[in-house]
Order: sequence, then C-alpha cells, then structure tokens
Amino acid sequence: MIKVRINKNKIVMTGHAEYAEENDIVCAAVSSIVTTSINACLKIEANSLIHKEIYEGKELSKLTIEVTSDNKSILLIVENMIAMLEELALTYKKNIKIIKED
Amino acid sequence: MNFMKLNIQLFAHVKAQGSTRNGRDSRGRRLGAKASDGQTVSAGSILYRQRGTKIYPGVNVGMGKDHTLFAKVTGVVRFERLGRDKKKVSVYEA
Repeated sequence: MIKVRINKNKIVMTGHAEYAEENDIVCAAVSSIVTTSINACLKIEANSLIHKEIYEGKELSKLTIEVTSDNKSILLIVENMIAMLEELALTYKKNIKIIKED
Repeated sequence: MNFMKLNIQLFAHVKAQGSTRNGRDSRGRRLGAKASDGQTVSAGSILYRQRGTKIYPGVNVGMGKDHTLFAKVTGVVRFERLGRDKKKVSVYEA
C-alpha cells in the first residue's frame, strides 16, 4: 500500500501500490499524477519545490516533496495533486492511503 | 531544472531479480501395473493404468476409454509379447 503523509508543506510517500504484479494501474496512476504535478510546478517556478527520491536497489522506497514557494499557481497544482490522490484512494482503498498530519 | 522523469512504474514493486514463472507441476498420476504376472485377479480388477496403449489388451482383458486395462474374468494374469515390439496382458481362467 502507498502511504501519502501530508504535513503542512511537506508530502512524504512510501510503499507500493501492490494492485497487480505486472500491470499495476494504481501504481501507474499515482506515478503519473505525482510526476506530472512536480514537473508542472518546476516549469512555472524553478525552485518552487524540492523532491527527493530514495531507492532500495531498483525500488523506490520513499519520495519526499517539500513545497518552498507560496506562488498561488504552485499551491494550486499541489492541492490538485493531493485531491487526485484522495480521489484515487476512495476507489483503491487497499492500495493507497492519504494521511493528513497537520 | 530538476524535472522528474515520468516512470509510471515508480511506485511498483520490482520483482526479485531472477524470479521465474515456472515452478509448477501436476500431481503424479500413479500409472503403471496394478497386477503382476502370475497373480490371480478377480473379474473387473484393474491390471494396468497407462496413457495411450503402452500395453495392449489380450485374452479376457478389456480397455477403458482412458486405455486402462481390466480383467473380464477371474483368473491368472499373464504379460506376453505382441508381435515384434509390443506387449499385451491376458487373464487365463484357472
């Protein structure tokens, strides 16, 4: 299960979707949402956020996103990313969980 | 710019290296002889389980649809040759 911990301007994502062995559609959805949102923010403002990926072998074990900008567009994109992940979590309860810590 | 490369397997479990998709087998079917040469058997008892006709039915021996050979009468089992390179099993009444 992917766990998304949100604390003020910091988002920490750990775990794996484990929806399917080969064609893990939940993993693909989460990966796409997160990657495109991060890249969109960086395109608008170069240092709007800091993202750090920690790998164990070939496997991503932790992704940390720290929003450092208070640009309205950036915050909107991040907010939209979280909203999409929450929507996904409603359907795939066993594969992704959003934890709001603030 | 520190863009992320779009990898839609980012949150996927990476299967252990060298893991294989084989490793399955069916249970043994216990084929082969169920009565030995010279043994006395009763009518209806199974003599030989096989796939295809490794051994052919002989005198007083019938063959089921799965090529199982069985005795038609009570008697003594005999495994015999059939032609140059085949075998058959017969049951001779005592």
